[in-house]
Amino acid sequence: MHVGGHGGANPNTTWLKSRGMWLSYILGILVLHLIILSVPILSVAMAWTVTNLIHNLCHLIFLHSLKGAPWIPQDQGDCRSLTHWEQIDDGTQFTKTRKFLFAAPIVLFLLTCFYTKNDTSHFIVNLISLVIVTVPKLPQLHRVRIFGINKY
Amino acid sequence: MSSYWLPTSIDGFLGEIKEASLLHFILEGFLVAGLIWFIFRKSYKSHNVHSLSKEEEEKIISEWIPEPLVASTPLDHPALKPLVVTGKAGHYIDVNGQRCLNLATHNYLSFVDKPQVEERAIESIRKYGVGSCGPRGFYGTVDVHLELEEKLAKFMGMEEACVYAYGFSTVASAIPAYAKRSDIIFVDEQVNFAIQKGLDASRSRICYFKHNDVKDLERLMLEFESEAIKNPRKAKVTRRFLVIEGIYMNTGNICPLPALLELAHRFKCRTILDENVSFGTLGETGRGVTEFYNVNREDVDLIVGSMEWALGSIGGFCVGSSFIVEHQRLSGLGYCFSASLPPLLTAAAMASLEEIEKNPGLLTALQEKCKLVHEALTNLSEFGFSLSGHVKSPVKHLYLINPPEDMEKHRCLLHDISQYCIKNGVAIVPASYLDHMEAHPHVPSLRITVNVDLTPGEVEATSKLLQKASSEFSLS
Repeated sequence: MHVGGHGGANPNTTWLKSRGMWLSYILGILVLHLIILSVPILSVAMAWTVTNLIHNLCHLIFLHSLKGAPWIPQDQGDCRSLTHWEQIDDGTQFTKTRKFLFAAPIVLFLLTCFYTKNDTSHFIVNLISLVIVTVPKLPQLHRVRIFGINKY
Repeated sequence: MSSYWLPTSIDGFLGEIKEASLLHFILEGFLVAGLIWFIFRKSYKSHNVHSLSKEEEEKIISEWIPEPLVASTPLDHPALKPLVVTGKAGHYIDVNGQRCLNLATHNYLSFVDKPQVEERAIESIRKYGVGSCGPRGFYGTVDVHLELEEKLAKFMGMEEACVYAYGFSTVASAIPAYAKRSDIIFVDEQVNFAIQKGLDASRSRICYFKHNDVKDLERLMLEFESEAIKNPRKAKVTRRFLVIEGIYMNTGNICPLPALLELAHRFKCRTILDENVSFGTLGETGRGVTEFYNVNREDVDLIVGSMEWALGSIGGFCVGSSFIVEHQRLSGLGYCFSASLPPLLTAAAMASLEEIEKNPGLLTALQEKCKLVHEALTNLSEFGFSLSGHVKSPVKHLYLINPPEDMEKHRCLLHDISQYCIKNGVAIVPASYLDHMEAHPHVPSLRITVNVDLTPGEVEATSKLLQKASSEFSLS
């Protein structure tokens, strides 16, 4: 299906700029955390780590793995080789949306560290997941595919 | 179940964190610092970032030569002496007040001035008015559009058809609707200008093969295949297309369709066949080049046709499977964003189509006339003209055997021959191209179109006139 009616060639990312997006995002994480916390066998520390891992997994899949757009944009397939993160604000770096999405896993990581009382095994797992989702967000890695991963 | 841990006092908090190692804190400190750095950076566009140095700026400014808004025109420019056509461009045509036999406009089956077709168009005006008021998806669909689409699909024996408002934009929209930036298109180098514009708009990688040369196409495809073996992951997301014309408008030749389809099948290419000239002229019942070669029409993925040449109306159409054609209703830019074909022209096209269906004898007559013209013009070789084009093609090109070296002089000579013919009552024009925009150069030629109403006497007279022109311009 073609997109139309709003003038943007690729409206795949404009919704990230919409009003209330940041609040919804934070509420989403909170709800996710509360759901996990309500599982009886999980300790608080475990719940935080699981929240963090699920959050980072979502970032990895939706922002850094899936490419293109769910419809046919009018850009003759320009975005077919771009991940969702790379499509945000047409590739402009350090925009508000990008800063927010960059800050989210870091803040979540710090909170997790705090609530796991800096337990070393939790720390290592969370740090690895953090590195995996923050490194591809760096502007130096825009359109760069390390070792050709996910290149085509 | 453990309780939620919250520090109750500063001492408690410090007590807890002292247990963690120093390394954790250093890492966390780095993260916070990195985050602050990230948040306070100014935004910039990652691409198109280049600033010019002062010298570069000066250089660019000094290189710029202002051009006048209106350049001075040479006094002998053809645009200063335009050919004015009055009345209908039927079998005969009035050029600058001179009545001429029409061998210049595409009106193969003489539907342009057929009374039945005209009547249907007039009837349609009485019912619908002149315009359709909007694009197909936006109040522009009238029942005659749906009727014509159904008729075309049935006529071609395909699942579905979609009608465009303009012949040129049909193929120019159909190609970019399917082929995108990361795809590859194999295409004949003599394809018409509309196809070339479609190729440009697709942003795909374009591979031109030599005109009607199956061997050359195979070579290109094998080349691509070896590339694909080296990089299978890229090849997996690269769609391949083959774009060909039934009868090439620019040469009059018929494409070797069975061989091309076999190659397309072997290398898994999607085929787009432009039948703008061959629709309504080739095959026993006018179903185009697929009928001419008797190949299964479903082997071609998309057939694009024009209603402007054989049908004597305006517009174009695509036929194929519903799955393929339906895609254009939301992705064909010419379909989505142009006002739909005026109902009167739709009705006219429908009347012509019915005429072809009812009277297949028209096609045999046309093919006879094509043969007649072909034979008459082939005999001109001793008078300095060489003919190109298939015997059954209604479009033929006459080339000069000994043309002037200079391209400009070559074109002028053809223009003068054309003027001479028009003065003597036969409208023949040179094929005109936007040379600076064409992908491959075309040899200048006189383009002759065949009309079903031509009589042997008229063909004879034309041949005589060209012989006279030959001695007039000392061509042989």
